Amino acid sequence: MAGVSLLGRYLLALLATVKRDARIYATYRFRLASQLLGTLLTLTIFFFVAKLVRHDAVGDHASYYEFVVVGLLTMTILQEAMMLSQLVRMELFAGTFERVLVSPLGPVAGAIAMALFPVAFAVLFSGVMLALAAGVYGVPVNLAGVPLALVVAALGALAFAAIAVLFVAALIAFKSSIGATWALAGLGLTAGVYFPTRLFPGWIRWISQVQPLTPTVDLLRHLLLRAPSAQPVSLELVKLAGFAIVLMPLAATLLRGAVALSQRHGTIIEY
Amino acid sequence: MHRAAVRAEGAASVQAACDEGATGRRRGSRSCPEQDQTLRFHEVSRSFGRGSRRRAVLCGLSLELPPGSAVYIGGSNGAGKTTLLRIAAGMLAPDEGEVTLGPLHPRRDWLRFHQRIGFASAGDRGLYARLSVRAHLDFWTAIALMSARERARAIRAALIGFGLAHLADRRADRLSQGQRQRLRLALAFVHKPQVVLLDEPRNSLDEDGLAMLGAAVGELLSRSGAVLWCAPLGERQPVDFDRTLRLEDGRLWPA
Repeated sequence: MAGVSLLGRYLLALLATVKRDARIYATYRFRLASQLLGTLLTLTIFFFVAKLVRHDAVGDHASYYEFVVVGLLTMTILQEAMMLSQLVRMELFAGTFERVLVSPLGPVAGAIAMALFPVAFAVLFSGVMLALAAGVYGVPVNLAGVPLALVVAALGALAFAAIAVLFVAALIAFKSSIGATWALAGLGLTAGVYFPTRLFPGWIRWISQVQPLTPTVDLLRHLLLRAPSAQPVSLELVKLAGFAIVLMPLAATLLRGAVALSQRHGTIIEY
Repeated sequence: MHRAAVRAEGAASVQAACDEGATGRRRGSRSCPEQDQTLRFHEVSRSFGRGSRRRAVLCGLSLELPPGSAVYIGGSNGAGKTTLLRIAAGMLAPDEGEVTLGPLHPRRDWLRFHQRIGFASAGDRGLYARLSVRAHLDFWTAIALMSARERARAIRAALIGFGLAHLADRRADRLSQGQRQRLRLALAFVHKPQVVLLDEPRNSLDEDGLAMLGAAVGELLSRSGAVLWCAPLGERQPVDFDRTLRLEDGRLWPA
């Protein structure tokens, strides 16, 4: 009973972190409008870029524009997740990470909790992005596939958050998460976000198979556009779930080690 | 009220079997009974830097704060007061020695140790600029893993105790320095810790603020809590301390 109560308190602490971040987000009144406008402009740019690309460039079932819209919304989720190390750095600057560090929740759960709001918001926002693409530019969305697409997006978000936690561990241990930017670009490149992976040489295609963005974007295209998936759907789902299940405990363990290391070095609250 | 027992320069304090267990790291801190709530520094040493730049800040420092004790540690800038408090809060690991709260170790018993520690760092950082006073208390009590019922009561008490009730919905970046400091202190006390660690807590407080801090410390001591207060020597403090010490050359001396 005490264990259940304690688990409940951990869940409440995670929710409180989401609430905190939502409250802070809400204080920036024009942020949402600005994000919507930025998204609409991105969709517009790719709408015209797509006119330069042969209609059947990505296969028989979808135009390039449909293909890239789903890639863009998946990247939105990944980008928000990868901002985690920047958020932790800002907390170190502000001295607020210190409070998490001395809390019963602790820095590992505290850092993971910090990923929840941005990632959940990004999943919702990617839905808005898709609605805009459908409403303004006529992307034919398969509505029946939306519920399962949400599950896929959530699984992908969990795997992306785990990658982001790895960069937080690097930030805590070495005061630098310099690789986060190129990791984001590299994942986008090799996952076939902007163009199909079959255009790549074989060795890059191999890389695309060992990272979570590829099955996420592939499954989302399959579910939302009825595009054929590169591999059987069940295999892609298992692969994605596997990434999420393996990466998060690994990332949490490495973050715990990074915290212990920087506590020994005396650099834990340096930035 | 218990007297704080201090070991400075090898002077031994008198504590029962528990003390022996805690002093000897080899004996293991879990040998003490759960009800032991003494905060102990066991021959704690801490240096910073590497190679020829390595600088010793704490050198085999030992100190005990039994329940109900109030200890003041003064010292010049850079003497190591903040390092001492950060080690006590479990933020920094000592190079040698250890800190325990009764049987609890900051790393091995993370949850229970940190539920019992309150910490107010020096300066005016550690607040979310765009969060209200109440939202700060709400967030902190949640990550302190208090129950929903305890949280509501604790937040109400903290708002009243630190004179923040009328500012509850005001954002932190719209508070004065003194009001910010009251909030920072409220965060250190709100979860009813057993030991509160205060680093230069007078920062920007007016007379009312000092009185509120004194009352919070008084309430803590009345429920057999303990307070470790670090600040430069010579400041008037709103608390009667059991022991006043000076940190110099990495060791504690009677002030």
